[in-house]
Amino acid sequence: EAGPEAVDGLQRLHLSVAATKYPRKLDGKFVEQLQTVLCSPKSPEQIQVLCAAILREMSPCNDLVLSCDEIQDTKLLSLVSSVLLAQGSRGEVAAVGQRVVQGLERRLPEGQSARFLLPVLANVISLSPGSLTEEQTNVVSKKLADWLRYASIQQGMAQPSGGFFSSPRTKQPAPITEVDGAVATDFFTVLSVAQHYTQDQWLNVQAFSMLRNWLLCGLWPQEGCVSGTPLVPVPATPGRLLPPRERLRDKAFAYCQRLVEQSTRRPLKKEDGDLQKACLIEAVTIMDIICKQDSSYVCRAVSCLKILHSRICGDATYARALLPIAQLFLNHSKQAAVDSDAIYKHLFSDIPALLFHNPSLAFEFVQFCKDNSQLFTDSSSIFRQSFPNLFKFLAWNSPALISEFVDLLPFLLDPGTATEIFHLLLDLPCLTAALDIQLRAAALPVSEKAGADPAGKPATCLEAFHHPLYRSMFQYLLRSRAAPEDAPDSLVPLRQLLGSLAGSPRVVQCAETVPVLLELFFRVVAEFADGSLINQLVVLLLQRSDQLYDIPAFKEDVVLGSNLAMLCGLRPALVVELSTEILEFSGAVSNIQSKEAIFTHMAWAVGEFLSVSHDKRCTVEQITRFFETLEAVLFEITQLRPQASTPSCAPRAISVLMATLTKLAARSQDLIPRVSMFLSKMRTFVQSPAVTSVYCEEDLEEILIRATELMNLLKMPSVAQFVFTPPVASTRFQKEVNDSLPLALRMVTQLLEPAAGSMPV
Amino acid sequence: MVRAFVLLAPGGPAPCRVLYARTFGTPPGAGPGGPRQRLRRKEQLLVVARQVASQCQLLQASLGRPSSPQLPQLPDEPVSLQDAPGGVFQMSPGDPFPERVTVVWLSVLALAFALVCEPQENLSLAEITLRRLAPRLLLSLRLLGPGADVLLRPDAADGLLDRLLPHGQMLFLNERFLQAMDRELGLKVSR
Repeated sequence: EAGPEAVDGLQRLHLSVAATKYPRKLDGKFVEQLQTVLCSPKSPEQIQVLCAAILREMSPCNDLVLSCDEIQDTKLLSLVSSVLLAQGSRGEVAAVGQRVVQGLERRLPEGQSARFLLPVLANVISLSPGSLTEEQTNVVSKKLADWLRYASIQQGMAQPSGGFFSSPRTKQPAPITEVDGAVATDFFTVLSVAQHYTQDQWLNVQAFSMLRNWLLCGLWPQEGCVSGTPLVPVPATPGRLLPPRERLRDKAFAYCQRLVEQSTRRPLKKEDGDLQKACLIEAVTIMDIICKQDSSYVCRAVSCLKILHSRICGDATYARALLPIAQLFLNHSKQAAVDSDAIYKHLFSDIPALLFHNPSLAFEFVQFCKDNSQLFTDSSSIFRQSFPNLFKFLAWNSPALISEFVDLLPFLLDPGTATEIFHLLLDLPCLTAALDIQLRAAALPVSEKAGADPAGKPATCLEAFHHPLYRSMFQYLLRSRAAPEDAPDSLVPLRQLLGSLAGSPRVVQCAETVPVLLELFFRVVAEFADGSLINQLVVLLLQRSDQLYDIPAFKEDVVLGSNLAMLCGLRPALVVELSTEILEFSGAVSNIQSKEAIFTHMAWAVGEFLSVSHDKRCTVEQITRFFETLEAVLFEITQLRPQASTPSCAPRAISVLMATLTKLAARSQDLIPRVSMFLSKMRTFVQSPAVTSVYCEEDLEEILIRATELMNLLKMPSVAQFVFTPPVASTRFQKEVNDSLPLALRMVTQLLEPAAGSMPV
Repeated sequence: MVRAFVLLAPGGPAPCRVLYARTFGTPPGAGPGGPRQRLRRKEQLLVVARQVASQCQLLQASLGRPSSPQLPQLPDEPVSLQDAPGGVFQMSPGDPFPERVTVVWLSVLALAFALVCEPQENLSLAEITLRRLAPRLLLSLRLLGPGADVLLRPDAADGLLDRLLPHGQMLFLNERFLQAMDRELGLKVSR
């Protein structure tokens, strides 16, 4: 006899089975008993639910003897099905499917409702699309069509509750109403309102809820869940009923059209407004599917949705519905010979700027872009040109959207957009801050929007938003379309102004996404960039290296140095072509401290690539010029008595500079004596007391070892030349050579200074 | 269709815990059978829970809220979902499910509710479904009171899911239908 102790026991049993991910063995006989109790009509519902929960939790179950064949009660059938469908067996899924269709076909016993069977069916076709026969799917399609179209249009009666008021009154059932209270004049839908609902009205709701899934997966058992190639639609012959498939589409389309009309009514209950929008999105999506399956519906769909679009395009609360509408037009408007450019323009130009802060819309919008990535290949299209707008979604909703943007970014990059996107990525956290201010400025009451005195300086970021000094910079940063020519000379003042927001959590979260995107950016650009673009990017890299938004860790994480080296490796000739800019950058001693990574990589690149073998235009004068510039920097930072003004820098920078000077000298051998003399002074440098206090012992020893190796190498100039001028090859090879350089140097050193006990080879 | 529903405690400093999880059917032929299948299912849901917890914490941080909000003083105080933070994200194929899934989540006080949906699912409806499930679960499972025993009452959670999300099927229920359903369930939900 099942009492409260049984309930308690079963609950505890469920917990102990569920609590661990490792298998718990339950006695086979006990499992059998659970199944018996589950199926027994005498068991109270709570006990049945618990037995099912335990059996599901243990799935897949070897000792399962459950079958749904004998069960007449539809609620119990649904419960037992949930256990069977959890087994992961195609046979079980098919058996459940058969039984449910059987239940739908025949008349159900008194008091049973088909309402509980439809979700089971939906689950069956979702798990295993081919599990019903064509005949069975026709049966279901026919029923679905009837339930969608012919549900009662009168309200149900309240269940008799017993008591004083239970005497049946002869009361006419009231008609159903719309969500805005008007009496309904057409067939029943999910947006129909009644005090009480009849069984067939419940079935109407269930049928619509599973309709999209059924149209995709249920109609063609042979092809499974693909929305692709339609079978040839059977045209309607007058006077004859359409075949079940076609009839269902016909009723479904009519239902969706009705929903479109119902979804812009003003609901009496605010919460119904949310459902209206969800219904609208579903209706348009189903229309799209129907159009794909039978193109004769396209004209009707397009004309219906054009009207809808003009009604809702000004209402921000309907924005999410604009996406499936645009998708339908993208899929079919060519066929309907309709000009839908206005729809796309509104979608891409206006919506992101307005609603970037809505996380659901942001996600769906980016999905839309990914699903239609072929749109972005045309560089002049509105889609491609709107990338500044798209990045607003990422700037505001970084953690949720970063992986989506990693997928999307390659489609936005081409020679025309690369430099603008480069700037945009580096300024992405700035954009976050600017969007924040834009939102706050919009929320201000009108009186305060007048702004501060234009002649003076703005006191806060908010004041600066409308201030003439900053307005155009804000406008550029917040632009909707690509505008490479409109870039202001510098956004430096704006970045400084926005510095006060650099610590805000949203800005910091955005900053954390930039390094990943930059790496991806360079990887993609390296594939298509021509010489001129590479040169442009190198110059920009050098320029932007100190024009970064001042967020702690942002400057370190944004790894520009290694990408600079990669670009130089792609196109070594740029060292000669951009010698002016590179000399200017390398000659500024302060750069070695403030932009150390980039400086070091630049110096390395000069050493690697400034040679005749990489570019015939490389002259001795150029080599000498670079040499003198870098020598001056090295001299400055290796003073024996560093002053307060002497920049401090990492030991690696010193090593790279020494190596670069040596390499240059190997190519222009007049310089060898100068380098050798310099290198020989390094011993004094590392031993100087002022220096030992700044650098640690290992680092100084490493510097000394390197200096010695380089000096030794220069004693054999022809060997040095060979070592330092490897054949021009792929970037990876350069890297390997660079890595193996210390090894090569060590070998040479051992040759020249054999340690005690070792034999020269 | 919805593949799974997860109720979790995102934690803050503490690691996230799955309090209740329900999958709606197992796709046949997808991976190992036997106990490994169960193990995989549990681990997949844990991965989802961790990702939800992480997104939840990041969103709370960006909104400037404390990451571990306090429970209300009175257990019967109606919980307002007005400002309840929520979000949606995607999980790539293979990580952790064989195919792509979209996760819609909602955070209420120290708990989070998540729906794991098939791709191309109606996310607006998913959000509505979550907003309906959350207060009803909080009510039925008495999740806000002391000695919250959600782990010991799977039948209450199952009962709600069997009505609002039967077999993972989301339902287009307008307010009146919802009221009718609450009547059937014997729930008194404050409106």
